[in-house]
Amino acid sequence: MKTYLILAWRNCWRNRRRTWITISAIAFAVLLSILMQSLNRGSHDLLVENMARYSTGYLQIRDVRFEDDPSPDNAFEYGDAIEKEVLAMHPDVRMVIPRIQTFMLAADDEGTKGALVMGVDPEREQVLNGLMDQLVEGRFFSWKDGGSGNDGGSVNDGSSGIEPSEAVVSAGLAERMELAPGDTLALIGQGRFGMSASGLFVVSGIVKLPVVEMDRQTVYLSLPQARYLLSAEEHVTSLLLLPRHKRDTDDIAQTVRTKLAGTELTVATWEELMPDLLEFIKFDMAGSYVLSIILYVVIGFGFFGTVLTLTLERRREFGVLLSVGLKRRLLSLIIFLETLMVSVTGVLIGWLLTTGVLLYFVQNPIQLTGDLAESIMDYGWEPILPVSLDPGMFLSQGLIVFFLAVGISLYPMAKIARLKIIEASRS
Amino acid sequence: MNKKKEVIRTESVSKVYNPDTIPVHALREVSVRFDEGEFTSIVGPSGSGKTTLLNMIGGLDEPSSGQVFVHGQEITAMSDRERVAFRLEHIGFVFQYFNLIPVFTARENVSFVMFLQHRPEREIRERAEQLLVEMGLEEKMDSRPAEMSGGEQQRVAVARALASRPSFILADEPTANLDTVSAMNLLDMMARMNREEGVTFIFSTHDQRVIDRARRVIRMVDGAVESDEFREG
Repeated sequence: MKTYLILAWRNCWRNRRRTWITISAIAFAVLLSILMQSLNRGSHDLLVENMARYSTGYLQIRDVRFEDDPSPDNAFEYGDAIEKEVLAMHPDVRMVIPRIQTFMLAADDEGTKGALVMGVDPEREQVLNGLMDQLVEGRFFSWKDGGSGNDGGSVNDGSSGIEPSEAVVSAGLAERMELAPGDTLALIGQGRFGMSASGLFVVSGIVKLPVVEMDRQTVYLSLPQARYLLSAEEHVTSLLLLPRHKRDTDDIAQTVRTKLAGTELTVATWEELMPDLLEFIKFDMAGSYVLSIILYVVIGFGFFGTVLTLTLERRREFGVLLSVGLKRRLLSLIIFLETLMVSVTGVLIGWLLTTGVLLYFVQNPIQLTGDLAESIMDYGWEPILPVSLDPGMFLSQGLIVFFLAVGISLYPMAKIARLKIIEASRS
Repeated sequence: MNKKKEVIRTESVSKVYNPDTIPVHALREVSVRFDEGEFTSIVGPSGSGKTTLLNMIGGLDEPSSGQVFVHGQEITAMSDRERVAFRLEHIGFVFQYFNLIPVFTARENVSFVMFLQHRPEREIRERAEQLLVEMGLEEKMDSRPAEMSGGEQQRVAVARALASRPSFILADEPTANLDTVSAMNLLDMMARMNREEGVTFIFSTHDQRVIDRARRVIRMVDGAVESDEFREG
């Protein structure tokens, strides 16, 4: 085998310029293809990450009726005992994060806007999404209950038992309503089972959320405050499960789903909770796959042209090698090795170049500006182009080029199989 | 009575190209025998069928009719795969255009055939060096064909043909692309191999220098043997 490898390798370099052009074309295709996918995946990962962390969580336990009727009526009881029970369901559940949320009207002196009101435990949210780090003005409301968040009454004093009434408003909503820390915000809506829900809250801080849609409309209250407002003491609308590793999500979902069977609770993954987002990602990726295919078809034809020329140029040599006793299958193997060596060299160089470019973009993400940034933000994306370093992309591009090489080498193999030694030797 | 051992025998070998359109009779009922140790030239004008006969004997082409036997084995009845293996073990080829592997050195070119025969590495190395020394190429062992003259390349080609210890060597116009000195050197080498080691050589040629050195001359005209002349060695 060593002799065949040496022969193939040296044959690759018989026409150095041509070989380098072919290698460069492959490397360039790999670079472009991975870069394209990396930018797509990077954006998607960031979008999913943000949506999952700020909106649905990776996994969420909720009442089975909540999907059809997302109101506080379909909240469920949650306390220390339930928390322990959920944590015990799967060893890879790192933490549970309780939330109660509903849509309400937010009003100030100037007007009224629709708002997503979320009762949260800021410290647990901090672990999930670094919420408190997103503060751009003011401060977060005080939170003294480090437990399940179930004992809201112990947090604050006052007539409602929960004072001071403070809220943290997302930057987009604050801008739309011209709110600043210290301003008063009225929340009006419906609580659990038709109870009227209204209250005045002092804006203690403003957070900039990376999900634009959420940034436009979110009001954070402390969990006890929100429960009190919605007349849903000891209830939550969702219980987010934070996995130790994202890859554990499906496994945890399966286990928890089995354990919740027969109850009124269910568990859903982010894919189930955001099917539209998943569809959008698939659609967006399809575009990048189509471009990759076009790229590889173009490169493939170039590569094929090289192999075609090489096959025709070397007909006599093939004839001589067969004359002296080289078996056709071994000659085919040599030609395949040559094609493979050129491809592998191209892929390796492509990988190296891509790694360098991606590492640069990891350090210096591409910032979008102007109309493009606006339109990206309209989709709920941050106006940056993050990149993904998923090794799967590198592997898949390597495999594509491998199969391309196999496909292309079929031509000289077929020629060798039908080669007439006499004609070839005379050519 | 001929006491020499038969190496090759052709029986009524004919070859017709384009039988369905404009038939070209390259060989017509050629029956000829070659014995061990011969130094034979097949001569004739272009298109007389000498190269076609060589191709039939070498198992590179199949006759339209007739049979070819090598050491009593009918190679015309063998499959393509069997003929490849047979050629590797029994036949050495020298071509008009040298046809060395351009990316291999002289040593590697000579070794390659033995490598295909799965000979031990040490034997391959020693025999390749020995043959190249015998061909006067000790200085060129690690040179590639592009770094050698035509005569040197053809001597490497002869060494390659000899490397597999074949029963006979078929040489198609081996001196056609060589100057006189190189041609004479090559012929000297081949004659010495024939004389000292008993290697059987069969040439197709119209080079008078080769014809003059041959101990047997077969003349072909229009695909048939016109004369078969044995000379004193």
